[in-house]
Amino acid sequence: MRGNDLMPQPRALENIRVVDFSWVRAGPWATRWLGALGAEIIKIEWPENERGRLPSTTTPQNVEVNLNTSGNFADTNVNKKSLSLNVRSAKGLEIVKRLIAISDIVIENFSSRVLLKWGLGYEELCKIKPDIVYVSMSGYGHTGRNHAYTTFGPVAQSVAGLTYLSGLPGAPPAGWGWSYMDDTGGMYGAMCALTGLYHRNKTGKGQHIDLSQMVASVPMNGPALLDVSVNGRGSRRPGFPPGNRAHWPGTDLVNNYRGPTVAPHNAYRTHPGGYNDWCVIVCHSDDEWQWLVKVMGAPAWATDPKFATVSGRLQHQNELDEHIEFWSMTLGKYELTERCQADGVRALPVQSAEDRVEHDPQLRHREMYLPMEHPALGVHKVQNAPFRMSKTPAVNHLPAPLIGQHTQEIAEDLLGLSHEEFRAGFADGTFWPTERARFPYMEEMLR
Amino acid sequence: MSEALPGPLAGLRVLELADEKGQFCGKLLGDLGADVIKIEPPGGEPCRHVGPFLDDIPHPERSLSFWHYNTSKRGITLDVRTADGGALFRRLAATADVILETFQPGLLASLGLRYDSLREGNDGLILCALTPFGQTGPWRDYASSDLLHMAAGGEMASCGYDEADVPNAPPIAPGGGNAWHMGCHYAYISIMAALVYRTVSGEGQYIDASIHEACALTTEAAVANYVCRGEVLRRQTGRHHAVGPTNRTQFLAKDGSYVTALITGGLNPRNVRNLAALMDSYGMAGDLKDPKYQDPPVIAANAPHIMELLAAFIASLPAEEVYHAAQESGFTWGKVRTPEEVMEDPHLQDRGFWKQVEHDDIGRTFTYPGEAAIYNGSPWRISRRAPLIGEHNQEIFRDELGLSRGDLTILTENRVI
Repeated sequence: MRGNDLMPQPRALENIRVVDFSWVRAGPWATRWLGALGAEIIKIEWPENERGRLPSTTTPQNVEVNLNTSGNFADTNVNKKSLSLNVRSAKGLEIVKRLIAISDIVIENFSSRVLLKWGLGYEELCKIKPDIVYVSMSGYGHTGRNHAYTTFGPVAQSVAGLTYLSGLPGAPPAGWGWSYMDDTGGMYGAMCALTGLYHRNKTGKGQHIDLSQMVASVPMNGPALLDVSVNGRGSRRPGFPPGNRAHWPGTDLVNNYRGPTVAPHNAYRTHPGGYNDWCVIVCHSDDEWQWLVKVMGAPAWATDPKFATVSGRLQHQNELDEHIEFWSMTLGKYELTERCQADGVRALPVQSAEDRVEHDPQLRHREMYLPMEHPALGVHKVQNAPFRMSKTPAVNHLPAPLIGQHTQEIAEDLLGLSHEEFRAGFADGTFWPTERARFPYMEEMLR
Repeated sequence: MSEALPGPLAGLRVLELADEKGQFCGKLLGDLGADVIKIEPPGGEPCRHVGPFLDDIPHPERSLSFWHYNTSKRGITLDVRTADGGALFRRLAATADVILETFQPGLLASLGLRYDSLREGNDGLILCALTPFGQTGPWRDYASSDLLHMAAGGEMASCGYDEADVPNAPPIAPGGGNAWHMGCHYAYISIMAALVYRTVSGEGQYIDASIHEACALTTEAAVANYVCRGEVLRRQTGRHHAVGPTNRTQFLAKDGSYVTALITGGLNPRNVRNLAALMDSYGMAGDLKDPKYQDPPVIAANAPHIMELLAAFIASLPAEEVYHAAQESGFTWGKVRTPEEVMEDPHLQDRGFWKQVEHDDIGRTFTYPGEAAIYNGSPWRISRRAPLIGEHNQEIFRDELGLSRGDLTILTENRVI
């Protein structure tokens, strides 16, 4: 059981505090998981140059679009507190330094020189907190001639070679239909923070971990890169990328970096032929092929000896795939999956987000999506961790913060400002722009 | 100087009982300094049979895929399914901090190697079971593959083509084994969280990690879009999934490569002005410098024309040149590069990214990809090439566990190691 409504004890990152300057997607996706593991995440925000809350295409249709109503922000930023603070003001900088002095990790995903320009470069951070773990998540890293270049996920994916992996031969790259490297860049951000924290706990020493979103993409192309450096074989070649296949018929029989070269290995339409009515089927051996033949009802074509061996199936792949699709069109994708898997055949449905949330029996059983109440959005399902830790489960325990929601709590309870000082910070534009309308919960704080 | 420093995970011992599903997680741990012992079945892991192969000569010691995913590990062979093998594994587990295993759910327990019993006398032991669907649920015992995970996880539903580019295109699964990467990244996070907790509590724990769930989590806003607005997204060529059609972002350059050209903030006066300046430096601005394009309604009315000028500009130059010129002008653009083009990138060379890895067994040295992040206090490094089959059997069974030559002979003859 996920037990998301309970604060489980103990938590893996109990008593760890993270100063989180990150925005948009990759950085916030990193700190979301540190929060789920129990760290206190203090998200530093400023409404005048906020990126991640707006513009929103994920605000529910019946809700006004404002800084607090992005559905995607709400999922990406669970388990955090929000401090609205003008770090570009002298007073704001002083306050963030006081916060860093009692924190364990500083994490940000700005361009390479932003924190340095604010006077918060690694050397300065060390003066404030000698064993700080500082994770910078810039596009190209803090070193190297292109460090000032900027990325979003799609650009990192392109420059690093991941986009080229995806598509049909002879067609333009299909690429990735989302910012894969914002998700995965976020993973690396969390990985670096945890690794640095472990090292600090063991040695007492902090460090600067200079993560690059673009560079992090490159090793994920490892076998293709080694094919270049070892065999001199590039990927700009006929038949690459081979669509969903392991190999494109009529081209050189070389490995295409997606596991063993086998057939069938493709996506097939299923009944009733809608936009996402597809199944994938893969046979890794002749035995698995025979099991598929049995599931299909042993049609005459399938018993032709030319399909009995993997080399035959690769050679006659177009014909093979046409026959399989003729059969797959007679079944719904979940029924096809169940029939195949009952006989050991590798098959699963192509699933949209709706399919995953509503129809996937495994994700339902594992409680992947559990409802959470958000103060501005109401109750919606939120994504959970893909791992169960027996002693310190990762759970979503706080909805995403409204902007500045925890400013008073952090300023007064954590940093010890008096209520008068806190109010003065609102009056002088440290905690909220003086000319900008305040949200009602801010008026509450100022009472 | 920093080269002499140990990695951040120095001193940790990891036992890896993993195939294609988990070998990357072992590499992540090993390259950061952990002593990863890869336990293969006698004769070697089946991943050794996945190409491409050195000089295209298939052989279990020549798989480049195996080489890449198994750096910085030592290797032993051991059949944990035999009684003797299980007993030896138990002795190794007593020396380990972390066990990473990718067996089908319940297999280790059926061999009497349940986590609780392995942990006896080794309270800090962490066991991460990384499996396709986790240890419970209706799909628990389903067979899987990288392609299957990309389908059910939702990746394929988001990747594909505009109808105009490829009519009736299927959903597309990007290649490269990324389902395994997704699972391994989350497995690494869970293991590190458990290790951090152990530094405080001294206690280990059991982790049940699911590759399907990891993949289902890796589609950016698709789930939020559905749960908040009920929308299902459509696939588009080389750019984000969306409810309805959006502007193209992928343009063909003169050399046949593509450029990913994002206009952050859309076609607003500032972006059009900067775009005109960039294109004008190549004499390709057309009429875009006309002051009328500083008026948002005029921009909106002429958006197709502006996009045509943009496409013509990119089509007039090599993709690499467009990429750098645009970045120098503040545009977040990139070239869609092949792996061989990535290897030429001077920025990666500046960062010391490429590593020379010695294959002493064949007297050759090869270039490998390096680190995602530079740790200034505890460097990442490839400490050794992937192990040969059973390469460290003597070192670990004899020198560390104290088995005799006779013991090893018997175990080998009985196909335990």
